[in-house]
Amino acid sequence: MKIVKRTVTIVLCLLLIPVTAVTTAAMKQRFADGPNRVFSGGPLQSGELYTGSEPDWSFVSEVPTIEMQLLEPPRSRRIWTAEFNGKLYVWSGYMGTPVGRIWKRWPVQAERDGRAVIRIDGKRYERRLVRIKSGDILDGLSAAIRDKYPSQTTRTAVEAGEVWVFEAAPRD
Amino acid sequence: MKYFYRMIAVALIATVVAVAFIPGVGDLVEENFQRYLGRAAR
Repeated sequence: MKIVKRTVTIVLCLLLIPVTAVTTAAMKQRFADGPNRVFSGGPLQSGELYTGSEPDWSFVSEVPTIEMQLLEPPRSRRIWTAEFNGKLYVWSGYMGTPVGRIWKRWPVQAERDGRAVIRIDGKRYERRLVRIKSGDILDGLSAAIRDKYPSQTTRTAVEAGEVWVFEAAPRD
Repeated sequence: MKYFYRMIAVALIATVVAVAFIPGVGDLVEENFQRYLGRAAR
């Protein structure tokens, strides 16, 4: 019995090392101007703030990821994006899994307060995230997402709540 | 066990210092975490 207890203690102590590494890396990123990979970053501070007419978002087809920050809470993350019919969209997968819901809290936060800032190629845009739960637009948008990324996103998945899709609309 | 606990304490402090201050270490940790998280979410 004593050897089992000792083994468990040793394993737990050794596990503390990667847990500490991940926690430290995540905390460090919170103080950064923007995200890195999966850990949330701080507010997007650098980069020119875009003003003017609605941009032609077709250029995002060449952009693999964008940085997006919600105003509340003021944290940023790196996400996929797609343009469809002249509008900009972001989405979050894995929302139907427990790990996904813990990992990705921004969609729930964005549904509460959609005010956001996105940064693409160093330029910041003020947007408002509006969730799209259903509709014919999801057919075309899903196809656009699958064309751009190795994604399984379908209209059915969005309507089932497994993928949360938001239009990054202009902020009025 | 006393020496083991001391070793773990030193390893934890070294981990925090390395991740916080050595360029690239935090990114390496995040890259591996992303890999495991992605696998777990599927």
